[in-house]
Amino acid sequence: MSDALKNPEFLQWLCEQHSLERALKLFPDGMKAAAERGLRPLGDLPPGNSPLTHPAPVFDPSRFERDR
Amino acid sequence: MTDLAYLSIAEGSRLLRARKLSPVEWTRALLDRIAAIDANYNAFLAVTADQALAQAKAAEAEIAKGQWRGPMHGVPYAAKDIFDVEGMATTCHSKIRMKHRAAADAFVIRKLRETGAVLLGKVALHEFATGGPAFDLPWPPARNPWNRDLHPGGSSSGSAVALAAGFAPAALGTDTGGSVRNPATCCGVIGMKPTYGAVSLGGVFPLTFSLDHVGPMTRDVEDNAILFHAIAGHDPDDPTSAQREAGDCLAGLKRGVKGLRIGVIEHFYKEDAPADPDQVRAIERAVGVLRELGAEPRPIRLSPLALWTDCNRTIHQAEAYAIHERDVRERPEDFAQLTRNRLLPGAFVSAAKYIKAQQLRAALCREFSEAMRELDAAVTLSSLLLPCRIDDPAAIASTYDQQCRLVFNVTGTPAISVPTGFAHGNLPLAMQIAGRAFDEPMVYRIAHAYCAATGFADQRPLIKAAERAVA
Repeated sequence: MSDALKNPEFLQWLCEQHSLERALKLFPDGMKAAAERGLRPLGDLPPGNSPLTHPAPVFDPSRFERDR
Repeated sequence: MTDLAYLSIAEGSRLLRARKLSPVEWTRALLDRIAAIDANYNAFLAVTADQALAQAKAAEAEIAKGQWRGPMHGVPYAAKDIFDVEGMATTCHSKIRMKHRAAADAFVIRKLRETGAVLLGKVALHEFATGGPAFDLPWPPARNPWNRDLHPGGSSSGSAVALAAGFAPAALGTDTGGSVRNPATCCGVIGMKPTYGAVSLGGVFPLTFSLDHVGPMTRDVEDNAILFHAIAGHDPDDPTSAQREAGDCLAGLKRGVKGLRIGVIEHFYKEDAPADPDQVRAIERAVGVLRELGAEPRPIRLSPLALWTDCNRTIHQAEAYAIHERDVRERPEDFAQLTRNRLLPGAFVSAAKYIKAQQLRAALCREFSEAMRELDAAVTLSSLLLPCRIDDPAAIASTYDQQCRLVFNVTGTPAISVPTGFAHGNLPLAMQIAGRAFDEPMVYRIAHAYCAATGFADQRPLIKAAERAVA
């Protein structure tokens, strides 16, 4: 991803997608660093865990019952 | 009588109840000290002197009539300026929030009001509990009482500075990646991050909804347990609030550590990341002290620190950006540079990455729970490095992730920072003691035994009357 971010047009496009044109204009170096950090891939799950078998926290509709 | 500036909650409360000390006398002494000295340390953003004296007088009258409400009755405290106090601005140390006025008290402020505690004022933080010590904000950053040129830690910087400088015996902080424990570490005081849900987040400006914790900060372990009990409890208006009572942290506080099994997560600082030799030597000595006291320390292994950091930071970035998106888009120049640098990466975290981070969090929580199955508690470092200069943003940014605190925001389990000595004569060192979910009593018990044996938490910085105001 860092190679793509060397292209100013890509960073410009990316910021436009997030309505961050003002931030890019004022802080171009900061935006580039932010994009590099935000787009950095996450580390792998520990051994024995799979994204197919271990969901993120489960939605629990019963938690909302008291709001009815 | 002990100097009122460094009087503990426990001793002060005993004196108040016996009517050997007046809450007005204690409050006035601290207000006078703040007025005389805080220009050196910038701990307070707002001092509520009139309200504090009124609360102290009310406490004095009630105690005189025998209506003692409990150990926080008449005890002064300070609150990080991220907690709502009715009628006051909750600025979050930000230009963006200067015109805010809170319509009601935060849950924990209300609880402390009900206990009869006396609010001295609102204290400094890193903008929106992120960023760092910034010089491009309406208020200057708080300064470390041990050395004003060094980072006091954050984001609850003013809370720790107020304690170390003798401005208050109690302070409230918040902790998303270590923001109670980091300033406690840097300023040589006690900072507890309780179990997620044990203390309500109601009326606290959020940084991230799933990693935020409210934490008690004090100079003394027993005081910390007293303050924890005063603020813990279920809040029906906070969806993250746990529906269970906190365990009694005072009953077994002085039982010692004989026979306790304590895991030592040493690969974090011996293999996973470079650590300052003074910090490592101090925790090794601390483990030795626990062994001499009868505990049974043993090394344990978790996933590498970098994976915990990845998990915390991804969730942190995404959730914090969701909260600040509109202001980041429309007025990015109104944030401090360090805050902006922390918030902007969240714009580029994909939904898939955030979900994977949640999966990773669940896996890491299972791993920690499994590791703790045969243990009573675990210890590891708090900061890997020593505090850097407060005016060096590059150094501050580089040390942001050089720590082991965020691990316990991922697990949501309790962890406390306790002093382990000093480097170079006057730089506080610290370790964390961590426990199982809702096992705050065990964490406090070990912390109390260790601090009583070593006395490091009883050391005080040399405080001078204000000679010059610092930016």
